[in-house]
Amino acid sequence: MGLYENIRTERVSSLALRDPAVVSEDATVRDAVEQMRQKKLGCAIVVNANREPVGMFAESELTRLLSETPGVIEKSIRSHMKKDWPMVRITDPIAFVLDALETRNVRFLIVVDEQGQLAGLTGQKGLMEYVADHFPGQVIVQRIGGSPFPADREGA
Amino acid sequence: MADQSLPPNSGEFQDPLKNYDPKAYDDRLEKALVEETVAAIQHRPVATITPDTSVRDAIDELADLNVACLLIEEEGRLVGVFSDRDVLDRAALEYDEVKTRPVSELMTTDPVFVYESDSSAAALSVMAVSGFRHVPVTDVQRKVIGIISPQRVTTFLRKYILA
Repeated sequence: MGLYENIRTERVSSLALRDPAVVSEDATVRDAVEQMRQKKLGCAIVVNANREPVGMFAESELTRLLSETPGVIEKSIRSHMKKDWPMVRITDPIAFVLDALETRNVRFLIVVDEQGQLAGLTGQKGLMEYVADHFPGQVIVQRIGGSPFPADREGA
Repeated sequence: MADQSLPPNSGEFQDPLKNYDPKAYDDRLEKALVEETVAAIQHRPVATITPDTSVRDAIDELADLNVACLLIEEEGRLVGVFSDRDVLDRAALEYDEVKTRPVSELMTTDPVFVYESDSSAAALSVMAVSGFRHVPVTDVQRKVIGIISPQRVTTFLRKYILA
């Protein structure tokens, strides 16, 4: 079966989901940044007491805020998170991920379970890893970095 | 015994590729990953700054241009990248101390890059295998000619997956 068919039949759960950085609604921007650093992720998901996602704080927003309001780091995350962030269910086909990334122009997607509770994080990198796993003979064997040719002549 | 693969003494030309069968691909994307080069992925526009730009100005540039990564060029050569991730990891909590410092102190040095003539699979490999999200595209003198972002690769993948 080709990739075209696979992304329509395989579920989001078969992607390599990330363990997300999570903060509560009463957290500060600093709390979110510390979580993002610890998890080495570019976003933090804001959840309510039922662990349902209520917002997203991404590193692009952090850059914009630092440029406009340098003291923002101690402010509440509630005022700076994005509330209408796209989500996919863990049982959705992977094609939904592809569509959401393109149409919503985002790097990350929140993954929720059937009860609407946070289940993980995916995004552009998850999709690329899926493609790389599908075509390891093309993607994983690539020469990465460095020069493809010697800087000096080999000899006579 | 004479080598039958060599042209006969008559001088008649025999095409050595006459019996060559190009590899057949079952999947459009697999074919594109092998046969399309980096040039087929959108890699312009690109934003560049110099290493002596202050961290504050670099952050302002990222925000004003609404981009996630700036390439650092010195004397026409790529020397580093400064991205949203560098802001998160090295500047966000330390902003007051680092804002006037040159971006060269916080940038990621020796970034992994690709050439325009590399296969599109190479760009995907840098992101999916090596874990770098922004891949500079340079010429052989290491002069910046573009940048490939995850968004641009996603658009490329979508074109072939859904075509």
